[in-house]
Order: sequence, then structure tokens, then C-alpha cells
Amino acid sequence: MPCYTINPEGNSFSPPYIFFFVDCMLRSLLSGTFLFLVSMQSILSGGEPVDLSRSIDEILSKSHLAEGITPAPSVDEASYLRRVTLDLAGRIPTLRELRSFIEDPSADKRVRLVDRLISSPDYAFHARNEIDIQLLNRLQWNEEWRAYLLKATRESRPWDQLAREILLPDKLCREDKGAAAFLKQRAKDLDVMTNDTSTLFFGVNISCAKCHDHPLVPDWQQDHYFGLARFFQRTFVTRGGLIAERFDGELKFATTKGEERRAKFMFLNGKSIDEPVATFSEQEWKDIKEKLKDLEKNNEAVQPPSPPFSPRQALVELALEGGQSSLLAKNVANRVWAQLMGRGLIYPVDQVHSENPPSHPELLELLASQLVDNHYDTRPIVRGIVLSDAYARDSAPADPNQPIEPHFFAAQVPRPLTPFQYSLSLWVASRNPELLPGPQKPVDWPETRERWEKDSERLAKRFEIPDELFQVSVEEALFLSNNPQVESDFLHNRPDSLVSYLLPLQNQTQTIEESFLNILSRSPTSDELSNLIDFLNRKDQPRDKVLPQLVWAMLTSAEFRFNH
Amino acid sequence: MNLNNPYFALNRRRWMQAASLGSAGMAANMSKISLIGQPAFAEQLQRSGKNVILLWLAGGASQLETWDPKPGRLTGGPFATTKTCIPGIEISELLPRMASRLHRTAIIRSLNTKIADHGQAYELMDTGRTKEPGVAYPHLGAVIAHQLAAIDSKVPDYVEMYTSTEGRRKGTAGYLGARFNPMFLTESMIPDNLTRQKSIEDVDHLDRADLQHFLSKSFRHRQGNLAVDSHATAYQRVRGLMASDYLFDIDREPQSMRDHYGPTQFGEQCLIARRLVESGVPFVKVARAWWDSHGQNFETHQELCADLDYVMSALLDDLEQRGMLDRTLVISLGEFGRTPQINGSLGRDHFAQAWSCTLSGCGIRGGTVYGKTDDDGRTVVDGEIDAGDLFATIFKALGIDIDQEFMLGSRPIPIVDFGSKPVLEVLA
Repeated sequence: MPCYTINPEGNSFSPPYIFFFVDCMLRSLLSGTFLFLVSMQSILSGGEPVDLSRSIDEILSKSHLAEGITPAPSVDEASYLRRVTLDLAGRIPTLRELRSFIEDPSADKRVRLVDRLISSPDYAFHARNEIDIQLLNRLQWNEEWRAYLLKATRESRPWDQLAREILLPDKLCREDKGAAAFLKQRAKDLDVMTNDTSTLFFGVNISCAKCHDHPLVPDWQQDHYFGLARFFQRTFVTRGGLIAERFDGELKFATTKGEERRAKFMFLNGKSIDEPVATFSEQEWKDIKEKLKDLEKNNEAVQPPSPPFSPRQALVELALEGGQSSLLAKNVANRVWAQLMGRGLIYPVDQVHSENPPSHPELLELLASQLVDNHYDTRPIVRGIVLSDAYARDSAPADPNQPIEPHFFAAQVPRPLTPFQYSLSLWVASRNPELLPGPQKPVDWPETRERWEKDSERLAKRFEIPDELFQVSVEEALFLSNNPQVESDFLHNRPDSLVSYLLPLQNQTQTIEESFLNILSRSPTSDELSNLIDFLNRKDQPRDKVLPQLVWAMLTSAEFRFNH
Repeated sequence: MNLNNPYFALNRRRWMQAASLGSAGMAANMSKISLIGQPAFAEQLQRSGKNVILLWLAGGASQLETWDPKPGRLTGGPFATTKTCIPGIEISELLPRMASRLHRTAIIRSLNTKIADHGQAYELMDTGRTKEPGVAYPHLGAVIAHQLAAIDSKVPDYVEMYTSTEGRRKGTAGYLGARFNPMFLTESMIPDNLTRQKSIEDVDHLDRADLQHFLSKSFRHRQGNLAVDSHATAYQRVRGLMASDYLFDIDREPQSMRDHYGPTQFGEQCLIARRLVESGVPFVKVARAWWDSHGQNFETHQELCADLDYVMSALLDDLEQRGMLDRTLVISLGEFGRTPQINGSLGRDHFAQAWSCTLSGCGIRGGTVYGKTDDDGRTVVDGEIDAGDLFATIFKALGIDIDQEFMLGSRPIPIVDFGSKPVLEVLA
């Protein structure tokens, strides 16, 4: 069976894309981060992404002016470093990274920081973890799928390619089989397969339109729901665990008026296609059907045959038409913005339709067009966003008596850490900082980071996946308060732990300063300093007994729990 | 705006409506907005202190060997009926104790929930609706915790005891948020992480929590954000929950009370459930499994009904003697019933067309039977209801407004499924 190549649509490549392409091939021969850095330079330099940051700020300033809103001030260097390291590396910065960044006097240090982070191995790990929880949503912990995603994020595969691979895993090479998990977890339920694809890839939660035309949104009618479902209706999992498609099959539904309709192959934008007439003889049909039945029920070994017309492939082609105005481009741009700014330009992110317009249509349009211009590589828009003034605003408003509504994007929204962000950050914050690297990473950094991921996995699984109605659970609070694992992983006095690093420090002030920098990535305020000195003095306990209490209080604080 | 406020949903809805207008006038005076959503005080008072114990009969108990016997029919099986304390009402002879206490219990004999597959039926009976992709419906316990839990409650607000493995799955609060997820007990009678580690002294445990509170306070105050506020709410409840560990310790009950509930695991768990609701826990689910009697249905029910009958009547007696029954609703329910047809292994299979459940205590008119099945128990001939109607009945019995809606984005989701109606005949 032919395998997919990286070529997404047979379009001509713009020069930066070719660099990326060549780089991918080279890296498969010589793995090493140096080449990767070169390729990032090629993609990202040239002024354009900084233009994007400027455009973002212009659009938002215009709306702030019109609404009479005073945006929050910019955060200081340490807070910016924490925020952007969490967003691009999926963890808090190490003490060395923090010191080096604060001491760097150069004017362009944020740009250099962002470029370093985007091309670091951490970026791929973090992107993998985020895509995993977004698309598989813990239906299953699937190592093959996670390995596929890591490979994809390491190669910076663009979103159109991801969509293709994840929705058409039956067309992929063996090594990418993990991509099938998205469909395999949903294949037994057509409604789940339809609505989850619609929500996650196109930003359209269409489940409402199954039983009736959407009562509030004229965009979504039963025809859309069943039109989309029809692309998935022939999909099944073989006995051997492979995604396959049947060669024929109709989908009928009853309208609210009781009329029976036959669903078309119709995408959400109303475009439909006709199935080409199959030219099998009666005998051939019989053989095909028997083979498929055998595959489904009995035979584990055989590769499924490919039908001459693949509905899922037709869906992917339809979905990728239309460039920046396509639902895929809009959805990816909106979700990238939401991930970095705490709220979608379209909110909630699964309600893309005409009755729920974006807060800043021009801005969403801009991001979507940049995404498409960059062939669905999200890194340029990520870079543009995190280098904007809007991203770097404090989460506290200029005037505490004038809170700012989140949809104005005039202050950062405090965002709960995602499961791996939180567990990895707890890990980093509780290590002996002398054993952790600074901005220049050792050669074995990818392996080290991978080990950290493994070590954090068990804990990560305990934390809720944040959504728009996120709450810290009592279960989490009880776990962090009383579980023996917390003590042994984060509070013990061992050579590699923060507690052991703090123990020999000369005085209380220094102890507190170092704990703050290491855990909260900032210095204490004078109020905090005096309160904590008071705490240490009042406790009057040996340091190896009182320091774990101090470290625990900071690790479990609200400030640490959020990206703010 | 407080997350624990039972009217959070309504606050949120109004807030979202206002926000969706996108008006500049909205300009962010949060306190003004939360005032609109203040709960009607009297109504809140009326609901407070009410609670639910759900006896979950996992696998599906037979209605014919419990609440809707058909003696003398081909489908009836070997057991006779027994008269109850209510003239004209008879139930299976396997439930003699309940028969003499039926004045506190309403039997519903007319559930037709259609789905006879364990997995889907669980989902239906857990949430009162059929599954819908893209919407995470909360389980019954979470909705009730959301509605009835006291603000900053010192005790858990949703506890599930599920020791057996049959049909075991943890309840979820879905779109209500993790605040209302259950405390889930499977291996042990004491919840996880409720006990302080020996390596830290109690005073240090308290002090470090105070320190954390101090550190978080300055952060929280500059935010005014629901997710950030929920951090404080969760940690503020830790010490209270730890202090409630004694509720799970039945050694604190006198031997006479332990004898009253009997030595079975189900009995001990129901005793814990009573201790919990007595201390203000709004929802406790106790699962009693292995009802899935595809073979040897009659031996199975002989054994399990004895346990159910003994424990359920002990629980009702105890609640009544403590004056708690008028504010505690006891439900016995599974995911479906069992076929009237007896199969070749003398078993009964899955059956959802015509089955039974019971409601006792709070808000319930005891001694009533609602609905009727045909002579062989194959179909409902009178008063057919579905899962949504049952949920509406449960909410109504507890004084919960069944016309409430939650807003998910722009979509209103009623607290009970569209078109669901409470069974007024069983309500006091």
C-alpha cells in the first residue's frame, strides 16, 4: 500500500518551507539539534512574525481605545520568562535559566529566548502532551499514539498534515500507526466519531443538530450533522485492530417532521460531493463483502483493502479547501490563541458559527491567514503571539477596582497548568537547582527531558484537564496534602532535592529568596519576606524539619498552580 | 460570585448572557452581576439539610423477585408473595422486613428505559439521559451535591462506596466541574489521602497550610477569577475533610448499632452512609453488586435479597429513629431489571422494558405503588416513565427546582432531560 509523503497538497513550496523540508530529511540522517536551530532561523527570521506581534497589538489597542479600557501594565522579565517557558517548554524555568535571563542586558533578549524555546526539544514534548489531551482527552493512555505525536511534533509537522494523518491512519506507513488511536477510540460510535472530529478539528460542536436543526444557529442543520457523519459511517476497526473502510453504505435519518432523508457526503460548509459509481461485477462485490466481513469478525492478519472511493479522504480534501477561511484554519488559529491567552477569540472554542462571532474578527482573520501562509505550521503564529505586548501583560489590571473582562485581552487571564505542565513544574521546582541546566543544554538533554516526562507521568494522570469551567478539585488538594508520594518526590532531603540545596544556606533571608526564585520564579515582596522569616523563627525547629513545610506551601500555592 | 453557590449555574448564565451582549456597560463590576443571581433565601433554607442515600443494585436486580412479583404465572418463578403493612400491596416473600415497613416507601413498577446493555444503561441511569457526544453530563450525585452542598462544607459532598468490581465506574461531575466529583472508595472503607502522614506533626501540617494560604492570598486577591478562587476553596476544605475521617470509622458505633445493620459489607457501608448523611453529606452511593443473574437467578436472589431486605430496613429504621428520614431520601435502583422469561440456565437476562425501583423517606408518600405491568410482567400497562422522569421525581422530592437550566456556551441544558415530568403520585 502506498504511504503518505509529507507533501500536504502538492502545492508549490515557499522557500522557508523547503528549508524545513530539507531539514527534516537531513535530520533523519543526522539527528542533532544544531540543524534544527538552523532551520528555525530560516523559518522565523525575516521580520514577518514581529510584524504579526505589532499587528496583534494594533488591533487590540484600537478596541481598547474604543472601549475606554486601560490595559494592564507589562510584566517584569522574571514573570515573562516563567509564563513563556510554561507555554513553550511546558515547565517552569530552572534557576539558572532565570538568572541568566534576568542578567542578560541585551534589548532583543525576549526574541532570542522565544526562538531558543521554540526550537528546543522541550517544545516538541510540550506540544505532544497538549495535543494528546486535546485530541484523545484521556479516553485512553496510548503509548503508540504518544510516540507518534512526539515524532510529529519533533518534525514540526503542520496541522493540515496532522489532520490528514490522524483522520486517514489507514493510508499511513507502519511507523506512524499510532495516529490511528483518535479514530480507534471512537470508531464503535458514529456519533462520537462525528462530533469529536467536528469539535476538535473544526471548532464546531454539532451534536445539537443530530435530533433537530440547531435551534439557535441557522448554520447547523440535521443535513450538516448527517452529512458529516456519512464520511465516517463506513469506518470500522478490523479484528486485527486496524482502521478500515467499507466499500458502500447509505445513511438515512428522519427529520423532525418525520420525513426520511438520505444523507449526502456534505461538509460543514455545505459543500457536498457525489460518490463515483463503482464498477464492480456482482461476483466482485460478493468477494469484497466477504473479505470485509472476515476482516471485521475473524481474520487478524490481513491488511484491509482500500475502497476506490474513501469518504474520509474526501472529507479531508473538502476540509482543507478554502485556505484561511476554512474551518480548520480558523479552529487551529483560535485554539492556539486560546491556549496562550486563556480564552479563544471565539469563545467557547467549540462554538464556531455565525451567531457567536469572534471578539476581534480582524485578529482571527490575521492569525488564520498567517497560519495558512505558513502551510499550517503553528510556530510562526505562536511566536507572533508570545512576542506581542498583549501576551506580556500582567494578569492584574492597572486599577484593582477596575477588573478587565477577559474578552478584551487587556490583561492576561490566569490559566490553570495542564497536567504535565503542573507535574513537570513540581518536579523542576523541587530539584536541587545546581543539578539543572541553564539556557545552554547538555547534549543528552532530550533524553533527560524524556526521563522527566516518564517520572512525571503518574502524577500528571491525577490532575484534571483544564477546560473553560476549570476548578481545582478537593481530590487534588487532599492528594498534595497527604499522599506519601508528594513527600518522597518533592520534600525529601536528598542530594538532588531543593531541600538539600536550601539546608546549608547561611541565613533565613537567603533561604527564602532562593526558595522563591526556584519555585515561584520571582523574589519575595518585603511583606512576604518578613512573614516567612517570622514563620521560620517562630517554628524554631531544625531546618531539615521546617524547610519541607516552606517548600510545600510554595509548591502547592495558587500562584504556582497557574500560569499568570 | 462563589463557585459553591448552588445558583452558580444561574449566575453564570446571566453573566454569560450579559457578556455575550458584549456591551461596554458590562465593564466588569463583578459584584453587581453576582447580586442578580442571589439565591432566594427561603428556598435555599428549605433545601438545606436534605440528603440522599442511593442503594445501587449493580448488574440489575429482578423486579419479579423484589417489588413486582407475578406469582402463579409462567414468568413468576418459585417464590410466593407476601402481604405488606399496606392493604392491597404485595411484594416478593424474599423481602419480609421491607414488607412490614412499606409505609415509608413508594414503589415504582413502570420504568421503561429501553436500553438493556450494561454500559449504556449505566450511563442512562447515572445521568438521567442518553449519552450525547460533546456534552459531559454530570451524574446524579454530582447534581445533588451541586444543589444541596453547603458552601465551604466541612464534610465531603458526594461519596461513592463501590467495593465490588461489577459495573464499577467512578461518578463524574461533568460540566459542573471537579468541585463536585465524588470521593470514591473502592479498596478501603477510608477514603484516600484523608489521613496525615506520620512523618509530619499535626501542628506543622496546619502551619504549612496557613503559610500556603498566606502565599496564595495576595495572588488570589489580585485576580478575581473563578478558577483561581477554586484553589482556595479546595484547600480550605482539606482540614475539614481530614477531620471527618471518623465518619468512616464504624468502630465508633456501639455494638448494638453494628448488630442492627448486620455483619455484611453492605450493612457496614450503609452504616457509614448513615453516619455521613447525619453529618451533612448530601449524597452517598452504596453499590451492592452481583445481581446480574443470567444463571441461577433464584438462588442468587434468595441470597442477595436477604442482604438487601435486612440492610435496607435497618437503614430506614435507624434513620426514622434519629428523626432523619423526613430529610433523607433512600433510593434503591440498578441499571435495569431482569427478563420475565426464565432462560435455560434458570436465569433471567437483561430487561429494561418494565422494571422497578423504590423511593423512601424525604418528600415521598410512603405506602404507594405507582405504575403497573401486565400479568406476566412483560410490558408496562400503566404509568410508564423513563430515566428522566425518575430524576425529575428525585429532584422534586428534595425540593430542587426542576426548571433550572445550565448554560453550556450558548446552549441551555435543563437540569432534567427535555420533557421529563416528576411522578407526583409518589410525592408527599
